[in-house]
Amino acid sequence: MPVTGSDILDARGVVKTYRTGALEVEALRGVDLRIPRGQYLSVMGPSGNGKTTLLNCLSGLDDIDEGTVLVEGEDIHAMADSRRTEYRAQHMGFIFQTFNLIPVFTAVENVELPLLLTGVKAGEARERSHGMLDRVGLGHRTEHRPAELSGGEQQRVAVARALVAKPAIVWADEPTGNLDSQTAKPVLELLGELHAAGQTLVVVTHDAGIGAMAERMVRVQDGRIVADGRPGEI
Amino acid sequence: MPGIVLLLPVVAIVVVTIHDVVRRPTLRRLALRNVTRRRGEALLVVVGSLIATAIITASFLVGDTLGASITQMGPADEYVPAPSLARLPDIAAALSSPVPGTDGTLPVVRSGATAASVHGSPRLAEPHAAMLEVDFAAARRFGGDAGATGFAGAGSTPSGVDAVVAKDLARTLHLKRGDSVDVYAFGTRLRLRVRGVVPRLGVAGLAVQDQTNSPNVFVAPGTIARLAARPTARLASVPEAFVLVSNDGGVFSGATHSAAIRQRLEARVRPVAAVSVTTTKQDLLDGAKEASKSFTQVFAGIGAFSVIAGILLLVNIFVMLADERKSELGMLRAVGMRRNQLVRAFGIEGAIYAVLAGVAGTVSGIGIGRLIVVVAQRLFNQEERFRIQLRFAVTPHALVLGLLIGLVISLITVWATSIRVGRLNVIRAIRDVPEPHVVRRRLRTMVLSGAGMAFGLLLFASGVAGKAWFGALAGPPIALFSCIPLLSAVVPRRAVASLACVGALAWAVVAFTVLPKVFDNVDIPAFVVQGVILVSAAVALLATNADLSVHLTSRLSGAGTALAARLGLAYPVARRFRTSMLLGMYALVIFTMTFLAVFAKLFGEQGPRFSREQSAGYDVLVDSNPYDPATPQVLRAQPGVASVAPLLRAFPNFTTTYRTKPMSWPLTAFDKSFLAYGQPKLRNYAARFGSERATWQAVESTPDLAIVSDFFLRRGGGPPQNQIHPGDIFSVYEPTTGRTARLTVAGVTTSDWVFNGVMVGTPWAQSFFGKDIALARTYVRVRPGAAGEEVAARLTGGLLSHGVDARTISSIVHTRLQQNEGFFTLMEGYLVLGLLIGIAGLGVVMVRAVRERRRQIGVLRAIGFPARLVRRAFLFEAVVIAVQGVVLGMVLALIVSYQLLANSKTFNDQQLGFKVPWATLAVVLVAAMVASLVAILGPATQASRIKPAVALRIAD
Ligand SMILES: Nc1ncnc2c1ncn2[C@@H]1O[C@H](COP(=O)(O)OP(=O)(O)OP(=O)(O)O)[C@@H](O)[C@H]1O
Ligand SMILES: [Mg+2]
Repeated sequence: MPVTGSDILDARGVVKTYRTGALEVEALRGVDLRIPRGQYLSVMGPSGNGKTTLLNCLSGLDDIDEGTVLVEGEDIHAMADSRRTEYRAQHMGFIFQTFNLIPVFTAVENVELPLLLTGVKAGEARERSHGMLDRVGLGHRTEHRPAELSGGEQQRVAVARALVAKPAIVWADEPTGNLDSQTAKPVLELLGELHAAGQTLVVVTHDAGIGAMAERMVRVQDGRIVADGRPGEI
Repeated sequence: MPGIVLLLPVVAIVVVTIHDVVRRPTLRRLALRNVTRRRGEALLVVVGSLIATAIITASFLVGDTLGASITQMGPADEYVPAPSLARLPDIAAALSSPVPGTDGTLPVVRSGATAASVHGSPRLAEPHAAMLEVDFAAARRFGGDAGATGFAGAGSTPSGVDAVVAKDLARTLHLKRGDSVDVYAFGTRLRLRVRGVVPRLGVAGLAVQDQTNSPNVFVAPGTIARLAARPTARLASVPEAFVLVSNDGGVFSGATHSAAIRQRLEARVRPVAAVSVTTTKQDLLDGAKEASKSFTQVFAGIGAFSVIAGILLLVNIFVMLADERKSELGMLRAVGMRRNQLVRAFGIEGAIYAVLAGVAGTVSGIGIGRLIVVVAQRLFNQEERFRIQLRFAVTPHALVLGLLIGLVISLITVWATSIRVGRLNVIRAIRDVPEPHVVRRRLRTMVLSGAGMAFGLLLFASGVAGKAWFGALAGPPIALFSCIPLLSAVVPRRAVASLACVGALAWAVVAFTVLPKVFDNVDIPAFVVQGVILVSAAVALLATNADLSVHLTSRLSGAGTALAARLGLAYPVARRFRTSMLLGMYALVIFTMTFLAVFAKLFGEQGPRFSREQSAGYDVLVDSNPYDPATPQVLRAQPGVASVAPLLRAFPNFTTTYRTKPMSWPLTAFDKSFLAYGQPKLRNYAARFGSERATWQAVESTPDLAIVSDFFLRRGGGPPQNQIHPGDIFSVYEPTTGRTARLTVAGVTTSDWVFNGVMVGTPWAQSFFGKDIALARTYVRVRPGAAGEEVAARLTGGLLSHGVDARTISSIVHTRLQQNEGFFTLMEGYLVLGLLIGIAGLGVVMVRAVRERRRQIGVLRAIGFPARLVRRAFLFEAVVIAVQGVVLGMVLALIVSYQLLANSKTFNDQQLGFKVPWATLAVVLVAAMVASLVAILGPATQASRIKPAVALRIAD
């Protein structure tokens, strides 16, 4: 991969060890990864090999033991937790496998959360969220609570929420893991459209089909990146 | 028997549960797995319901303790008089082998006396002291429970000049062990040495005439006989000898079969002397028991609010548990578990929690009850003349009832919630979808709704017709709430429900005024029901319209606080049932506290007015030994005294329409001097007299007329059961002469703070009582410029040999008011405990809420929700509930009390102005807020510390 100055993310020598009592699990054993701006990257690998851990550590959701992670040139692990949280609100969007949404909020209320967090006025936030829900094809379901939406619809709301604040990078951990292929399709198409529009995307998946939709794929095994390249090449 | 009604469902549930535990290993395994797999959750459920059970049990224990303590009679159930001192041993011998139904006897000799301190200045006197002779060892054996006799630690029977004094006397005269005390009786003085002090309990606290005070001196046997036999003895003071009899059973169960036993006792002593086991003293026992009953009732009423708060907490906790399990229960249904199996498996799990919490809660309830009693004892001891010796009584009855209520509520809630979950659509359960808000027009709902309306209206009609407060009060709200399903078929549900709530609220507020006849003599339970209706209607109103508040916050813009507020509000609104339970718990407790605070303030501020109304223009009230009184001449010669009004007093028996059994009550006769400077205020008088003054003058000069107070022939507190009105006729009976007369009520005084009792003219009193009425009380007017307190102190110190106890009327009123205040304070303290427990409950509920939402918090943190906002959202959530509860309770209580004072006849007559006790309310508000915040700070901080990466892994 060519190294350019426009890398949005630059991780070096990331080590993460889980400690529970006397037990230690070396989940990441020295990961180096650069992600250029606008790239659609998929992270693949067998279950339990550190994909989620990698995502958590690169996005700053979890602490690391060694190494550095620069996001847009800033070392996110050097930040205090509150600053890192703020950073996430401003620059990152997240999509998780399940239970993504706040059940007591309606779809539109869920979507507008990141906007409100970054200080956008309530009226404007509502308007933009409606627009975003329109884009994911849920303009007619904005006042429904998550429990009243299908799994695919919920996931599209989550996508809308991840994108509404125009983040620099969107992280998705098994975004379709809970969906059948039929329901997963619109969600994946949405991700594809995002990429086309220039959005940087990191998608963790163990589904080769989904991984193949990305422009670059890394394979994680045993806490290391063991392969990196175009999906077809790996 | 409400106990049976409580028991039935529990028995059914318990039978099923035991059967399942033994015979259905699958269900058992499922339940046990759930308990052990989530130890933290299980612990919280147990702790929460433990708290609730503890408060319930403590309420019952405190009620029982107060009841036990106020019954000073202790083990004595009957009183067998001896015709003379000399015949006492014969009577005692006749009763020495117990009469069936009794288990002990105790001979007692008693005489009235004046007791005075020897040292100190001024010397202190108690003109109504009693000298008693009793064998201490026998007294301890009496009734089978030494602790209840008051002599448990009293040592041996006094001999020589040794004396053992009751705590009441020790306090009045500032006596301690080793002090000397003078006793004036039979025209002589006896100097005694205090060897010990006994509590006011059982025989040691034996009281005559004045049930709230027992200034007893226990002296060496034979002392009274020796004094009475002195040649110069003034025998106006007749020594009494009697045998106390204790019935089988404890202090409380004893009195029930008294009537039959009385006949047996009379038959037994007939060969010795034809004495009657007099009804006079039996009345005294009844009076004390009645006083304790009404006191206990007040407590039970107040305690009922704590019990209800505890019940709401229990329901809340188990509903929460079911909510948490909803998707799991749905999953089990999906894999083919039948509905009833599911309910039963959950039932086993709930039963495990319920039993653990019930047992532990009952035990903690003992501790809490003890704590309340200790605090109450402190409070009682601070007051001048309102002293109750509390004896903490752990009655099996209270424990069983507390345990049972805890179990019943837990089990029923567990079953009800799991049946509800079991009936949910499987998918809705798994995905935790709220039940759709369709207006169900099913026939059954309609029929039930109609039946409920009919029932409510019927209840109301029969309540009004039969002057039964419950139906009249509860009927309209029941009808209103029942019509919601029916009407919401045609009108929007929100409108119907809101209207029904407002209607119920309004009714509960004005019912007492609109139907004065029905609510004429209501008891404490009526106020409990009123409070419950008000609070539940208000909480339901809030719950119906809670979503409006969400719209409000969603208009709020900006990051930070507004967002936290929005999040903090979203959960309570989404979980309305649970929120309502919490809210109701707070509101009920605060409602009662505010109500009490209003009345405490009210009475507290009436002192000067009450003394003015009572005084008839006099300043000092002088009580002296009726056998050797301070005469008007003697008093007039004292410095500072301007003029005097001598009063004659006697304690005959009375009967009236509402009390057909003769009852001893004070009678005070006055002459024209009493009316020289005015007259005590009357609440009402017979119209023919034209004015208050004319009424008093008529009573002074006309035989057969009397003025009584509104609590004539009543014992104890609480709202009046029966009221006496001008024109009513009652009978007076003098036991020694056997004469009777009928008196007509000319007027009724507003309040009789100095306990003059029945007021009649001196001429009639002398003709009726002859030598059996004596000068015992004098009103003294002080010279201009002289201070009443000083004159009173000088009179007491200077006229000790006459047993003078002089106090200003204003100080008497003041102390009496303090008693009220002390009582109110105790009630408030009791409720504070309810509030604390409510707050602890809130803490538990919030801890569970944090666990319940861990994953959601993880998501929020991941998308950039700062930790402090998470904490703030939780704090906000708790504070919103607490503020709503506090404000709701306060506002409702203020409305009701204002309404009562402004419109109710009872209070209006007393012209008590309504005042908001701002200071107390502010304290309650701030305390409730701060305590709630402290309780929630832990869980909220815990929530804010949740690491997104960890929380996101929680499968749930
Ligand atoms: N909190 C933790 N404590 C201890 N070990 C952990 C913890 N979280 C993850 N692990 C371990 O770290 C390793 C990597 O886990 P991770 O969740 O990153 O795998 P994954 O590749 O995302 O798997 P999957 O495809 O199943 O989601 C696993 O062996 C897992 O057991
Ligand atoms: Mg994973």
